[in-house]
Amino acid sequence: MNDTTRVIIIPCSGIGKTYGTVSREAAYEVIDEMCPQTSTLVPLSKLVLGDGAAQTAVAENRVITIDGCSLACATKMVEESGGSVNHQFAVLDAYRRHRQMKPRGISELNEGGLQLAHALATEIAAAVDELQGEENA
Amino acid sequence: MSDPLTFTHDKFTFAVATDRFYSTAGIWAKAEGDRVTVGVSDFFQQRNGDVAFAEVVEVGTAVAAGDEFANIETIKLDIDLPSPLSGTILAVNEALYLEAELINHDPYGAGWLAQFAASDWAATVKTLMTPEQYYEHTKAEAQAEGS
Repeated sequence: MNDTTRVIIIPCSGIGKTYGTVSREAAYEVIDEMCPQTSTLVPLSKLVLGDGAAQTAVAENRVITIDGCSLACATKMVEESGGSVNHQFAVLDAYRRHRQMKPRGISELNEGGLQLAHALATEIAAAVDELQGEENA
Repeated sequence: MSDPLTFTHDKFTFAVATDRFYSTAGIWAKAEGDRVTVGVSDFFQQRNGDVAFAEVVEVGTAVAAGDEFANIETIKLDIDLPSPLSGTILAVNEALYLEAELINHDPYGAGWLAQFAASDWAATVKTLMTPEQYYEHTKAEAQAEGS
């Protein structure tokens, strides 16, 4: 399967922000472990910089964004880059559903943050599978 | 609500509602008779980030000015909120338990936290800032943080 048929995952780029780190950890778990054959990551920074390949990827493929906060930079940049978002996830919403998983830390998440990233990754992987199912139907 | 006072610092614009009073902690209080509604200011909510959870002490609780009456957990901080007045809690905004983000979306309206039966509102007002004073206070804080 080539990259053009994979679901594009775009996490928050909030470096130095706990919720941004959770979004990226979730994205890595999806693309590396849960859906390695059906998803791939495009760094938000490439869209911000106007990278042509990144813009084409989001314009031509199904996209899942993971926003760290209500500014929703990942979702907005996809839309400004000519793409459309098939599923939007927010770390804060995930935390509200899993209050016992309180994230802390930046470069290294605490146990709650890692658990939250895993819970979020599980939800995202299900969305990837759903999109792939639609593609194959 | 009449037009708020506003100022812009960096990329953020802050609003100060002009129909209420403010504590230095960024908590507003608006009286209608002896019933006083309280919440957090626009500056407070923007500075502290998206609210994940908000909890207020139970209805019927007697609270002294300066005592913690609510806790807000944002994506940045856990914050215990000091009461701007003394009194008894008459009502809490239960909508916040399902939609804590109301504090961010509408801090001067639907995002209110609690209503008090004030012990002595006339005396309390003298300890709080007017909108104009709070406007200058937050401008100074914003500039100090940004410098």
